[in-house]
Amino acid sequence: MSIHTLEVLVENEPGVLARVSGLFARRAYNIDTLVVGPTTNPEVSKMVIQVNLEGHSLEQVIAQLDKLISVISIEELVNGEKKPVKDTQPDYQN
Amino acid sequence: MATQHVPTANGTAMNGATSLVKSLEAANVDVMFGLPGGAILPAYDPIFDSTIRHILVRHEQGAGHAATGYAQVTGRAGVCIATSGPGATNLVTPLMDAGMDSVPLVAITGQVPSAAIGTDAFQEADIRGITMPFTKHNFLVTKAEDIPGAIAQAFHIATTGRPGPVLVDIAKDALQAQTTFNWPSKIELAGYNPRITPDNQSIADAAALIAQSKKPVFYVGGGVIKANASKELAQLVELLGAPVVTTLMARGAFPDSHPLHLGMPGMHGSVAAVTSLQKADLLITLGARFDDRVTGKLSSFAVNAKVIHADIDPAEINKNKFADVPVIGDLRETISALIPALKAALAKNHPDLTPWNASILKLKSSYPVGYTLPDDGSLSPQAVIERIGQISGTDTIFTSGVGQHQMWASQFISYEHPRTWLNSGGAGTMGYGLPAAMGAKVGAPDSTVWAIDGDGCFQMTNQELVTCALNNIPIKVAIINNESLGMVRQWQTLFYEGRYSNTSLESKRVPNFPMLAEAMGCVGLSCERPEDLDATIEKAMSINDQPVVVDFRVHRDAMVWPMVAAGTSNDEIMIARATAPDWDSQEL
Ligand SMILES: Cc1ncc(C[n+]2csc(CCOP(=O)(O)OP(=O)(O)O)c2C)c(N)n1
Ligand SMILES: [Mg+2]
Repeated sequence: MSIHTLEVLVENEPGVLARVSGLFARRAYNIDTLVVGPTTNPEVSKMVIQVNLEGHSLEQVIAQLDKLISVISIEELVNGEKKPVKDTQPDYQN
Repeated sequence: MATQHVPTANGTAMNGATSLVKSLEAANVDVMFGLPGGAILPAYDPIFDSTIRHILVRHEQGAGHAATGYAQVTGRAGVCIATSGPGATNLVTPLMDAGMDSVPLVAITGQVPSAAIGTDAFQEADIRGITMPFTKHNFLVTKAEDIPGAIAQAFHIATTGRPGPVLVDIAKDALQAQTTFNWPSKIELAGYNPRITPDNQSIADAAALIAQSKKPVFYVGGGVIKANASKELAQLVELLGAPVVTTLMARGAFPDSHPLHLGMPGMHGSVAAVTSLQKADLLITLGARFDDRVTGKLSSFAVNAKVIHADIDPAEINKNKFADVPVIGDLRETISALIPALKAALAKNHPDLTPWNASILKLKSSYPVGYTLPDDGSLSPQAVIERIGQISGTDTIFTSGVGQHQMWASQFISYEHPRTWLNSGGAGTMGYGLPAAMGAKVGAPDSTVWAIDGDGCFQMTNQELVTCALNNIPIKVAIINNESLGMVRQWQTLFYEGRYSNTSLESKRVPNFPMLAEAMGCVGLSCERPEDLDATIEKAMSINDQPVVVDFRVHRDAMVWPMVAAGTSNDEIMIARATAPDWDSQEL
């Protein structure tokens, strides 16, 4: 299955949507849907991104996303349940 | 060596511009390269009084590459500063360049007043948007009180983890507004927490894999230099006794004079270096990133090798090549941890590397990187570069432009120390060499700095010679004048039937480089006969109070060999036109 859903917590700051969508565009990752909303913390927003991998690895998509300084954490949603991304290396806290 | 600035107390009242300069002082900046304009002008008033040396460049691109050269020589963040709009867009190329080569750079730009943002105001450009794809991070600051925090974060992000460029764009009204200075004592970024210490299991796995390998190679990249890990690398190599290759970004990370050093891999790598990767059963990859210029056609790269990939950036793992054992962390820590782990693993099992080393070292002696002299007795570009290296010595810092001269400078100069070879590897930016030499000389004033430049490259950024002449920055520039965009011409020779569309620069006399140099306040020399070569280089070496430019008028048709044509397999390496190594005589 090449469609994955990621729940991404990001700094709530101007330009953060451009950072994320720009990353997907320049690395040729396909976004099927993207929803942005608030969280209980006004400094943090939540993005839910459906990515169609089409040959890219999920690990690489997540690692590149996590390199953005404005991205705080990334989790995969499977059937509505949160599945923390692989806790082996690489360390996605970076 | 950093300038001592008088610290500014938090809570001191001042305007945003002064708080910017006080923040740069608090970040221990001793020099910055820049050029003012309307939007950044408020900042230039306190710069006038600062203990930070500001070097006024002639083009902002020069400021960006100079800051890069400074950073690559010192290991500290380089700083450049420009105004909004065209000033800022002139920094785009150096920022992209620094991103590709993981250089810690902080760029500060003025922006139009915040109320005017989005109105197509005079000299408005969305520089944050423009630089998003290749900066490690960037900021748009619209409030005076946010300036110290943004500057502190910018230096922290630029210099930690995988180094990279950070841009801070500051609206003019934020520079003008009153504020109180507040330098943060601690930087916390929820989304940024680079892993420095490698985990024990990955170190143990790497050691175990190395201790099983019969054909290992150290594949060393620029990360070793960024991490200041050359000493540790030398110990690791001695411990295992396996061959080493250093990429274009890693020349100098390991001494060229070492018998196990095979030279550079990749498109213009040595036969031994390229072949060692192809035939290895294990790549011990240290701070390298499997760039296409190294791997050639990826599907046929090192097909029988297991891969240990040590890097500080998790996103490099499995990006181009699958890593059997990834090790994430600072390379100095990684190599330091690997040494005892490998000692223990080798005590249990120490494979005999003699047959492997013998076959690879035979390749090194059979196919040294070399060149033939032109038949017509004219000056050989390779000989010029080789003699500059020999006469100037291994403590010299070399920079280069991009093209044939760059490849020859990487091949025919012997590098013994890290941070003595500076070039634009990932971006291949023509025009990098001269301003980078300027920044390198500012960062290492006691070292001799030579820019090995092309006649094409020189014409992109030579205006900074004026900056050098007026600011006591006595660099030396060797123009390898082949009256051509030589590297592109070489591709036309090989792949376009010698149809030289727009690669001839027409003349070795226009521009008259020595006169141009003299006009910019430098000493201009020229050389076109092999018999004058040494004397000309020695003349250039004897001038240390002024920049020197030497126009070396060289043979036009020299080519860079060996070569792996773009998109082909490393197995198809050519040592001369239509000439492959004699594989039958080799046992691998
Ligand atoms: C800014 C930029 N434009 C174009 C190129 C493509 N390019 C690569 S090498 C080269 C020729 C460089 O000519 P010169 O500086 O004379 O060096 P030579 O190859 O002759 O030694 C060109 C045009 C580039 N790398 N950078
Ligand atoms: Mg040329």
